[in-house]
Parts: sequence; C-alpha cells; structure tokens
Amino acid sequence: MNIAGYKIKLEKKTSFSGLEAAALSVLAVVVALFLVGFIFLQAGVDPAKGYAEIFSYAFINSFGVPLTINRAIFLLLCTFAFILPMRAGLWNIGMAGQLYAGALAAFGVAYAFGARTNPDVPAGIVLPLMILAAMAGGGLMGLIPGFLKGKFNTNEIVVTMMLNFIAFWVTAHMIKEGGPFMGSGGEGEGFKLPPVLQPGLFLGMPFTIWFALGLTALLQFVFTKTRIGYEIRSFGASPAAARYAGVDPFKISVLVFVAGGVIAGLAGYHYFATVPGLFKIPKNYGDFGDLAFYGIICGLISQGNPLAAIPLAVLFGGLTSGGRFVQGKLQLGFGIDYAMLGVLMIILVAFQFFFRYRVVFKKEKEA
Amino acid sequence: MWEFWVRSLNASTIFTVAALGEIIGQRAGIMNVGVEGAMLFGATISFIVTKTTGSYLLGFLAGIAVGALIGLLHAFFSVTLGGDQVVNGMGIWILGFGLTAYIGYPYTGPLGLPRLPAINGLSPFFLLSLLLAAGIWFFLFKTHAGLKLRSVGENPSVAEVSGINVVRTRYASVMFSGALMGLAGSIYALDYNPVWNYNFLMGWGFIALALVFFSMWNPFLLLGGSILFGALWQVSLNPEALLPNIFSRYIWRTFPFVITVIVLILMSTKWFSSRWGAARPEALGLPYEK
Repeated sequence: MNIAGYKIKLEKKTSFSGLEAAALSVLAVVVALFLVGFIFLQAGVDPAKGYAEIFSYAFINSFGVPLTINRAIFLLLCTFAFILPMRAGLWNIGMAGQLYAGALAAFGVAYAFGARTNPDVPAGIVLPLMILAAMAGGGLMGLIPGFLKGKFNTNEIVVTMMLNFIAFWVTAHMIKEGGPFMGSGGEGEGFKLPPVLQPGLFLGMPFTIWFALGLTALLQFVFTKTRIGYEIRSFGASPAAARYAGVDPFKISVLVFVAGGVIAGLAGYHYFATVPGLFKIPKNYGDFGDLAFYGIICGLISQGNPLAAIPLAVLFGGLTSGGRFVQGKLQLGFGIDYAMLGVLMIILVAFQFFFRYRVVFKKEKEA
Repeated sequence: MWEFWVRSLNASTIFTVAALGEIIGQRAGIMNVGVEGAMLFGATISFIVTKTTGSYLLGFLAGIAVGALIGLLHAFFSVTLGGDQVVNGMGIWILGFGLTAYIGYPYTGPLGLPRLPAINGLSPFFLLSLLLAAGIWFFLFKTHAGLKLRSVGENPSVAEVSGINVVRTRYASVMFSGALMGLAGSIYALDYNPVWNYNFLMGWGFIALALVFFSMWNPFLLLGGSILFGALWQVSLNPEALLPNIFSRYIWRTFPFVITVIVLILMSTKWFSSRWGAARPEALGLPYEK
C-alpha cells in the first residue's frame, strides 16, 4: 500500500521488547474503553461523564474503594489461575467452577464443625481448615482437566467449561431448596458464617490480599528462576520441542491445572468467606463466576506476567464495581460490565496481530 | 413417551444445526471454539427483532445474518490476520457472552407471540435439521465444490497449487458456518424456549463443539450424537418421568455436562483415535500463509 509517497509494509516480528509489549497492552485497553464509550453514547450518556463517574466511584468514593479492592484481590487470584496453564499453552476457562468448588469445600468444613447452627466453633482450627479445604476443592476441580489433558489429550476448553456448569448446579443443590448448606432465611442462599469465623480486616482489606501478593512474588519467581517454570514456558512455546528436551507433558499439564485450581479455590474462599457483608454463598453466586472471566482478560493483556497482572486487576476490579454503580445512577442498561468484558476481549484478539507484525513506513525511492 | 421423544428431538435440532456449522468450518481447516458466542448473538438478535416487529421470518433472517457476520469476523481474524484460532474463538465467545447480556437485558422475559406451528409437538426445524445434515453430507462428499472445501482443510498449499482459492473458500465456509450457528441460536430463542434471559444457552454451544469431535466430522454421525444429547438433556430436565426421586433437580441438571465430559474422554483414548482419528482435517487450526 502506498500513501503520500510512503510504502506501508508489514514485517513479521522476530522479537519485541518488554516496553513495546506494555505499550501495546495499554493501547489495547484504551481502544477498548474508547469503543465502550459508544455504548454510553447510545444509552444517552456522555462517555466522559460516564467514565468520570465510574473512576471516581471505584477509586475515590469511600463505598467504592473497598469494593474495588475486594474485586481486585479476587481478579488477581482468578488471573493467576488462568495464566499458570496459559504459560504452558493450555486454556483454563474453568475458574468459575474451581472457585465454586473451593467455596463449597470451605463451607463444607464449617458445616462439618456445626457452624451452621452453633456460633461457638473452635475458630483456631476451623478457619485454617476452611482455607486448606478451599485450596483442595479448587485443586481437585483443576485436576480433572489437567489429568485428562495430560493422559488423553482431551480438549481442556470443553472440559473446563462443562465443569463450570456442573459446579454451578452442584452449588445450587447445596444452598437451595433444602440443600445442606441452605441458610435459615429460606431465600435460596447459603448459611452465614458465625462471627468467630468472620476474619477481621487488615488496614480495611481482607487478609486474603496477602495470598494475592504472596502468589504474585511466588509465580514471578517460579516463572523466571526455577527449572519447573522454565519447563512450563518451554512447553507453552513448543510442546514438541519441550518433549524432545525431556519435559513430561503429563506432569506439566497436571501441575499447571491443579495449581491454577488451588488459586481459583482461594478466590472463592476470598469472596464468600472474608468480604464483609457476605460471609456466605450468596444467591447471585453466578455473578462471581462471570466476574472470574475477567481473569482471562487480565491474563491475556499481561501476557502471563504476574507483576503486570496487579495494575490490571485493580483497573478491572474498579471498572466492574464502578460500572455496576453507574448503571443505577445514570440509568444505563444492566450489564455495562458484561459489555465491557466482551469488547475488551475482541480488541485483545485483534491486537494479537500487532504482537506478531510491525507496520513499517518506508520512503518511496524516486523512480 | 411420545412427548419425551418429541422434546428430545426438538432439543437435538439446535445441537445439530450449530454443530453442522462447525463441521463446515473445520472441514475447511478453521476451528471456531466460540460456537456459544455466535449462537448467543443469533438467539439474542433474532429474539429482539421478532419481539419488536412481531415477525418470525425477520427474526430468523436477522439471526442468520448476525451469525454470518460473526463468521466473517472470525474469518478475518483467523484467515487474514492469521491469529491463533483458539484465541480468536474464545474472543468470539466472550464478545457474545458480554455484549448480548447487555443488549438483550431490556427484552428479558417471554416472547409473547403465538408459538410456531408444530407437527404433533415436533418442531418443523427438526425436519430442517435432517435435510441440512443430508444436504451438507452430499455437498461435502459427493460434489466437486465439497471436495475443494475439504482439500483446503487437509492441505491448503496443495489446494492452492491445484487452482483453488484457499482464502476465498475459507471465508465462505466460515461465514456459512457462522450463519448456521446463528440459525441454531434463533431456533432456540424463537421456537425451543422463547424466553430471553442473560446467557440462556447455558453451554449448548460448547456441547455442539464437543459433538463435532464426537461426529468424526461426518454429518450423519453428528445427527446420532445430537439426538442422544437431546434425549439426555430432556431426562435431566424432567427426571421424574423416567427415574423418580433419586437426585434433586439441580443435580440432574449436571448430567448432560457430565456425559459430555465422559464422551470426550472416550473419544480421546488411543483406542478410539486409532480407529476413527484419521477423519480429522489435516490442516485444522493452522493458519495458512502463501
């Protein structure tokens, strides 16, 4: 193509710098948010005002900020659950199912100690057990696609998606219509944890933030400094070459999915058992499963980099909580956060192209 | 019993039409894991159009058209930009999931029109799905154009050398494939269960995707698989009819998904793939560059 004496060419990238990747990621987010602005326009809201409302609620308002933090921790955990398999070239879209499983296991421990009816359970034992159970529940849920992928090469996308629905309905069974975890209100939600099992806040934040930050450091270390991290990355880059170099595909697949599931299980524990005002599996638990899909967005934009995932989790935690808020305030339709999810995803897909190609402008030589 | 089978066949229609779409695309070498997204678009747009205009015909046409547009988008990403087809498909799915939740929300609830006519309870679309399966089988295996399409999916370089336009063939196949997914969504939203609710397909698109692997890319095997899944789905919706008082209705709802996983496992075993695996299009999922 020729424009104004310049020849425009596409060149395949052989390498690109971290800075270039970061710039492209930021650009992708900006383009997506710009497009979402048209949704505001179509709903009769000035996009600048809409975004101003969203950001001020999410990052300044004293009601919004804690909500943003809770969601950011949740999203960061979901992102890690996604990027562990992603670095190995595998797709975990089963964060929703894994976090339901984690939450069910955690509340199962509380239930086993009689916390549903007895407010005086030994918190020093039950609380740690709940956390371990959440990790085990999520991990077991992750083991299924990991084992099947490693052993039979079963398509992990379909399996994790099916498990999402299975866990969704099992949760409904447990908390609704006389299920064992049903709350006393009879409103189709889970029982509430007694006060001794409600962990306090640390600087206004759930203590699970330490899990999220600790895992950031751990994953960064594993990916960059350890042999297993190297094996995961090389398997992701080229399964055939990695196998030739002695990497065991079964081990990698089981490992990344179980570890991802464990982290997603923690995300379930985090939202349902440590966020003030909840302390139960709520009626609308499905919304949190949907929110978990933002983990895919954060994972793809961060290119699987755990450190880069932090600002993204904060941004999308804020955008989704603020989005919910402006819906009510500016009379937007329901689901602006869902619309944003869709637009972000498709823009990211389009931007893949720029990660592989470089647009070059060359001055045409005088004939 | 008749009622049970009629409902099963009606449910199978949606799996069949969507999965036939996926077969066409995959036979040309393009995998679309976003079947669910294309179906959600077709379902939501057709529902809105029919609800606002009162015309079923316009609704179906809009559903098919939006499906074809989604196919065009997928073809652009996968053929022209040559990106990873799985990533592109996931993009299509999440775009459909997110955007239709927003677009359709004001139309939540029943369609509020007289139901489409049925033959003793059996939807005429079931007959259409039989015709489509037979027609697509005939096209793929008995016509010259079908041979060309398959050759593009098996070995695009050789196809190109023998004078077939790979890019154009793939675009056409993926758009037709999207149109069928849009139609499947429209049948769901206008005929099978005309009540809009966000994300109301509940994974039917993913089951359709699994059915393609199950079908060995053959429309007739697919038809059998769809009917099996339609029946399983009905058992899970009305378990009391067949097996009373075993599980709660929520646990029954997990059954089609559990069975999908079990079938997928059986299909991925060495025993199965060594017998049938050769049917997989050779160039499936690979971008083509001249």
